[in-house]
Amino acid sequence: MRSKLPDAASSRKMAASSAVVAILASIWLCSSIAADASGSSSETTMHTNNWAVLVCTSRFWFNYRHMANTLSLYRTVKRLGIPDERIILMLADDMACNSRNKYPAQVFNNENHWLNLYGDNVEVDYRGYEVTVENFLRVLTGRHESAVPRSKRLLSDEGSHILLYMTGHGGDEFLKFQDSEELQSHDLADAVKQMKEKHRFKELLIMVDTCQAATLFNQLHSPGVLAIASSMKGENSYSHHLDSDVGVSVVDRFTFYTLAFFERLNMYDNASLSRLFNSYDPNLLMSNAYYRTDLYQRNLQEVPVTNFFGSVMETVHTDSAYRAFPQKNTPRETRIRTGNTAEDDSRRSILTDMTKAECPFTRIVSSLESKMETVGNLDSLVNYGLVMILPVLVVSVWLST
Amino acid sequence: MATANTEEEKSKSEQQKNHGGGGGFTRWAVLAVIFRLILIYFPGNLNLSSRPEVSTPLTSIRRLAEGYWLKQSSMSPYAGSMYHGSPLLLSVLGPLTVKRTILTYSVANAELKGSLVTFYAVGCSLVFVLADLISGILIRATGWKLQMTYRKSLKSLNLLNKSTDSGGLSSGDIAALVYLWNPFTIVACVGLSTSPVENLFTILTLYGAATGIAPLAAFGWVMATHLSLYPAILIIPVILLLGYGPDAPPSKLFRSKENGKVGDDTSSQDIIFSWGRVLHLLVWTSMWSVYVLVLCSISVKQHSSLQEMFQRTYGFILTVEDLSPNIGVLWYFFAEVFDFFRDFFLIVFHSNILFMILPLAIRLKHRPCFLAFVYIAISSMLKSYPSVGDPALYLGLLGLFLDELADMQFSFFLFCGYVGVSLLSPVMHNLWIWRGTGNANFYYATAMAYACFQIVLVVESVSSMLNHDRKLMKLSASKLQK
Repeated sequence: MRSKLPDAASSRKMAASSAVVAILASIWLCSSIAADASGSSSETTMHTNNWAVLVCTSRFWFNYRHMANTLSLYRTVKRLGIPDERIILMLADDMACNSRNKYPAQVFNNENHWLNLYGDNVEVDYRGYEVTVENFLRVLTGRHESAVPRSKRLLSDEGSHILLYMTGHGGDEFLKFQDSEELQSHDLADAVKQMKEKHRFKELLIMVDTCQAATLFNQLHSPGVLAIASSMKGENSYSHHLDSDVGVSVVDRFTFYTLAFFERLNMYDNASLSRLFNSYDPNLLMSNAYYRTDLYQRNLQEVPVTNFFGSVMETVHTDSAYRAFPQKNTPRETRIRTGNTAEDDSRRSILTDMTKAECPFTRIVSSLESKMETVGNLDSLVNYGLVMILPVLVVSVWLST
Repeated sequence: MATANTEEEKSKSEQQKNHGGGGGFTRWAVLAVIFRLILIYFPGNLNLSSRPEVSTPLTSIRRLAEGYWLKQSSMSPYAGSMYHGSPLLLSVLGPLTVKRTILTYSVANAELKGSLVTFYAVGCSLVFVLADLISGILIRATGWKLQMTYRKSLKSLNLLNKSTDSGGLSSGDIAALVYLWNPFTIVACVGLSTSPVENLFTILTLYGAATGIAPLAAFGWVMATHLSLYPAILIIPVILLLGYGPDAPPSKLFRSKENGKVGDDTSSQDIIFSWGRVLHLLVWTSMWSVYVLVLCSISVKQHSSLQEMFQRTYGFILTVEDLSPNIGVLWYFFAEVFDFFRDFFLIVFHSNILFMILPLAIRLKHRPCFLAFVYIAISSMLKSYPSVGDPALYLGLLGLFLDELADMQFSFFLFCGYVGVSLLSPVMHNLWIWRGTGNANFYYATAMAYACFQIVLVVESVSSMLNHDRKLMKLSASKLQK
């Protein structure tokens, strides 16, 4: 007896559990398929372009080094091939023409002053008080007002590799913007997640040079993101040296050694990211550089740094020109054109026949006009007409007397 | 028969007298031409072509040169609102305004070089001197014709006074010499304004109408209207001249005379309006205007259009676009009138000329040549851009009526007024523009005084002509009673 009821209940339970299992399995299958699809999609889409978003989040004269950091990286990235159209540079931009700057319109990242970073072709996209958390997040997610020009938008697509470099003052899970706001780690993670949803990048490298920079990546979950920070939680990032002539520190250590690594490279070098990451010496940095690779599928030894810091494109050579437009139309087009001209001629002749039939006055006028066009100089005709006045007058006077 | 013979002898003696007077005339005319040539020799034509009295936007030679250059550069000659004249004048005078430095290379003498660089102006000046000379000759011929017909009509009324026969120069000669030696005419000619050419065509109209040659009158009228708009009102005196004949005493006299004396063997004095000649005139007018329009359309065909030509010549005259100072009264007024009233006042000023046409035509229809003179005087007072060539014309024509206007009041006052205004006006212009110690009111005051003198001249001449007619009526009435 007991066995019957438990049989029915157990059968119902079994059905229910099997149903739940089936549902769960299907969900897992779907998610795996989706994951596979997304994973495979990120592997099957081609890497087509590189973008760089370089943000300096500080202002005021004593934060000279942050602007020098950003401008140095801007210069490096440009030198290695990314054009200005693919760089979003956000700076407070108050150093070069600051009244405290002994070298006006010049920004140095080294006390030897060999390199003027604020040269002729620095294109700052967001300057001054436009460098806000809101604008930064808008740039990342691509949600701008319609009036924002294209030069201020991150127009990346699913084939883009984006380098995001941020420097300034930061702390535990936050980054200070312009001494008045802060960007928190979950804001950054949300923005990156939105970018991933909208297929705004294929791979993203985030490089942050602030104090306790690694805490900014705590909330990141999106795949395809590589993150590197200058210091871990509880550590400060230090400046490299003080330029006694300018009066402030001119560069940070992490960026200094990053730049030292890149100065040895040119566009065609295939130095890998692992070499970059291994080049950071904690003794020299006075902090522990941290990189997060769990969200990044590829092996760091196979990824050249120019995938993010430069722009080496693979060109596919084809023999056919204008491959974007279908070829087959051209012979037909020429045929149509010749057909048209013949028709046009016949139409034109029809029209002239019609006008010929119309009015003798217009016929006379048109024939006169055609004759006048054949006459070389209209001025001589006018002079002839003027000279003819005299004999006509004399004749008429003679006739009427 | 006998009377006819004596008449022929009398006309022959008159002709001989005219020949004798003609000797004097030719002498003075040649002297006037030589005087002009001497003045032209001075460098830059005495800078007269830059004076506002001489060169208006319509008559300036520099604007003509600019228009010619624009045409040579394959642009419309009316581009940029510089040239506002006829395209035919461009073809005739344009090439003469081009500087020619052909002769400078062979010159070593610096003085001569200076005078040769301005050689380009000589060709143009010669055209204007020739125009003046022909105008003088035509005025003389017109005056002779007028005098002859007037004498004939007076004789038929038995009003001819032998004492009126002046020994020396006839009124035609005096008028021609007044025209040639008028300082206004000389200044207009030497200053290279195009008004001598316009005056030539106006005088040609009057000559053709007075001598009854309809095609000549039609040609003159069409060309004068084409060059400047205002001679269009001369169609009425031309029609009257061709219909009724030249100036004659009022027709009442003839009718009363017929009523008085019957059976006179003089020819019928019925002044009938000959419509045939007027029709002839109208036919020739339409033919000449079509010809001129065709020539103009060919001339402007390439880069401009006939509509633009009308807009820039007649439209410019009627809408008074240019408000640079001149001796007229419109520029100051239109500089300060509100835009809302601008069209209204344009209509007022132009209809001021038009309103005078009909009453004067009714009152003076027996004297169409004098009517033409009055029309010319009124239009030169109220036209948009008067220059110094306009008083040159009507003062010359005034000389034709010296016999009738002998008793004109205020003649000395007017003479002094004209002299005074013509001396003060350049002084006030200099004070205003160049020294800056005066203002526009100084200059406009002389312009207003000049307009007042012109008004007095017109009024007085008309009233003295009417007084003359009344005197004739009284004389003939007293003779009839005898």
